[in-house]
Amino acid sequence: MPKSLLSIQGVSKNFAEIEALQGISLEIYSGEIVGLVGSNGAGKTTLLRLMAGVYKPTSGSVNLSNGQAVTSMRQELGVVPESTGLYSRLTAWENIRYHSRLHGAPDSLSWARTEKFAEHLDMKDSLSRHTKGFSRGMKQKTALLRALAHGPNILLLDEPTAGLDITSARTVRALVRQLRDEGGTVIYSTHQLAEAQQVCDRIVIIHNGEIRADGSPSALLQDTNTDTLEDAYVSLTQDQARTRQEEKDKESAFSGWWRRLFTPRTPNTTLEVIEDE
Amino acid sequence: MSEGSFMRVRAIAKKEVVEFTRDWRTIIAIIVIPLLMFPLLFILFPVLLESEAAELDALELSIIIQSDGLPDNLAENISLNGMQFSLEILPNLSSLSEPGNDLERVRNSSTDAVLRFESNDDVWGYAILHLSTSERSNEARNRILNVLSDWENSEIRERIDQGGLDVNATLDPLRWDGEISDADVATMGEQSGMILSLFIPLVLAIWTYSSAIQPSIDMTAGERERGTLEALLCLPCTRMELLLGKWLAVATITGVGVLLQICGLLFAIGYLASSSFIGVPQLSMVSIGLIVLSIMLFAIMVVAFELALAMRSHSVKEAGSILAPALMLILFPALFTQVINLDGIEGFWFAIPVVNILLALRELLMNRVITEHVIIWAVSSVIYASLAAYYASRQFNREDIVTSLS
Repeated sequence: MPKSLLSIQGVSKNFAEIEALQGISLEIYSGEIVGLVGSNGAGKTTLLRLMAGVYKPTSGSVNLSNGQAVTSMRQELGVVPESTGLYSRLTAWENIRYHSRLHGAPDSLSWARTEKFAEHLDMKDSLSRHTKGFSRGMKQKTALLRALAHGPNILLLDEPTAGLDITSARTVRALVRQLRDEGGTVIYSTHQLAEAQQVCDRIVIIHNGEIRADGSPSALLQDTNTDTLEDAYVSLTQDQARTRQEEKDKESAFSGWWRRLFTPRTPNTTLEVIEDE
Repeated sequence: MSEGSFMRVRAIAKKEVVEFTRDWRTIIAIIVIPLLMFPLLFILFPVLLESEAAELDALELSIIIQSDGLPDNLAENISLNGMQFSLEILPNLSSLSEPGNDLERVRNSSTDAVLRFESNDDVWGYAILHLSTSERSNEARNRILNVLSDWENSEIRERIDQGGLDVNATLDPLRWDGEISDADVATMGEQSGMILSLFIPLVLAIWTYSSAIQPSIDMTAGERERGTLEALLCLPCTRMELLLGKWLAVATITGVGVLLQICGLLFAIGYLASSSFIGVPQLSMVSIGLIVLSIMLFAIMVVAFELALAMRSHSVKEAGSILAPALMLILFPALFTQVINLDGIEGFWFAIPVVNILLALRELLMNRVITEHVIIWAVSSVIYASLAAYYASRQFNREDIVTSLS
């Protein structure tokens, strides 16, 4: 029986009127790769931020299995956010070293680990370059190196292969599996089902702020009585995904009025456009 | 603060300073501009003015003199002052200042000015028609006025002499005996402190605020906009450490900027007026210590306030549109403080935010350490700095700072 690492109990997260997550309960075990799968705006990033302790739940709890707050495990945490978060006027190594130092890791350790993983990711020659000119893929790889440099036990990866070419994406997936094999735990957010199937031991499907399914890829197929994960996903998420517009509609009346005042009106019909012309 | 915490604050501050100074525009903003601003303003600007004045002096002007009898020595002096003139008969007008038919001649620059000169027994009347929007016409007017003034002085002296009076005794019956500077009992050091107290607090206040704007925005709203803050917030450093690190970085950058600007200012003053105008202010160790304390408290307050406002903003643009007009909160009190009379000043002035530190600096630069004032400004400044720091920490603890426009 794997050891429980993180316990999420009945968590809801609201932003003003918007319910980003509703009554989520999830148990994360040591040494597994958990894939958070969902459409844009499903609540994956919010859940990752709750796990990292950046957000506090509106209700419910996110704690370590020993009852401690998640922020107490940050020393062992490596995070790759969606936006990569690199400083363009620093070199790749300076970016990595900055985070490692804030983790309290000695430079020698972080350099040794960075060198090792940079070799895998074909980034060794780029470590001394400023990240300003980096492609999206190189930024993504640098962010991954930064998350790994201090030797974390838990990795939170938000769309880690976004922007990567096929070979690099494959290398990243192999790296993630290697970390799991070495005893690490990885929480992997993606909206690509094929990728989740390849990498993850367990898939959590999130839709409209709720967990719709939680289990191994084969268990999901069995439960939904489908042949592919794509079919399984569709059958679990048949209700329309929330859109930003719906969320915006929930904004306060004053805010809506103020925005409308300074926003040019868009015609409702094609006929209006033709008439205007 | 634990050793680990101190190391993290230092790492944050160091990274911020390194990253910020890697931009050449920043180097210009925090080193070149502060260093050169006052020397350029005080040295280069007067040089430009001088060259402009020399150009005007070299101009050969043409004027018309309308008179019913111009004294010979006056006509000669006008010629000697670079003005060619043609004489005309004085027109018949209700007053000499009325332009009459000469209006168009002056307006279309066919002449630079018209001098009307009329004799009435012992008293002469005159008027100068000129176009105030024309440099040539203004120059002609000024030269005519100088010539007339000299002529008037010699006329006065001649009349006094003709009346049998001593000219010098009549014109200057009360005279200062000896050197005026000998009679001032203030030492050179005190006088220097007095002069510096008119510049330093003002420069310090405005430049501290304005030079902290760019780094404050870059390190908060800039991070937010670029999406670098989220990764930072996942690290094992508290938000207070983050605030302290960023504060330290902004304060360092601002401190360098202010110091360089004061160096530039002192150099300009020293160059312009040589050593007789300004020297080293005579300050006790207590005054120096209190000056440092007051500047530190002011910097804590201003930088924390700016970091807080910038952190509230979702983007660099939004932060800029808040912080730039907020300069008025410093500018008006700073200007107002310059005109407050320090002799017998009431204690409450030293409790008003911004005004308190500026007044304290003025007093201390004149080496006046008044215990009551020191206690009031020190206590009130600690309160204001704490409030600003508390406000900043609240902003840094906001959950939504993780969200970015990008």
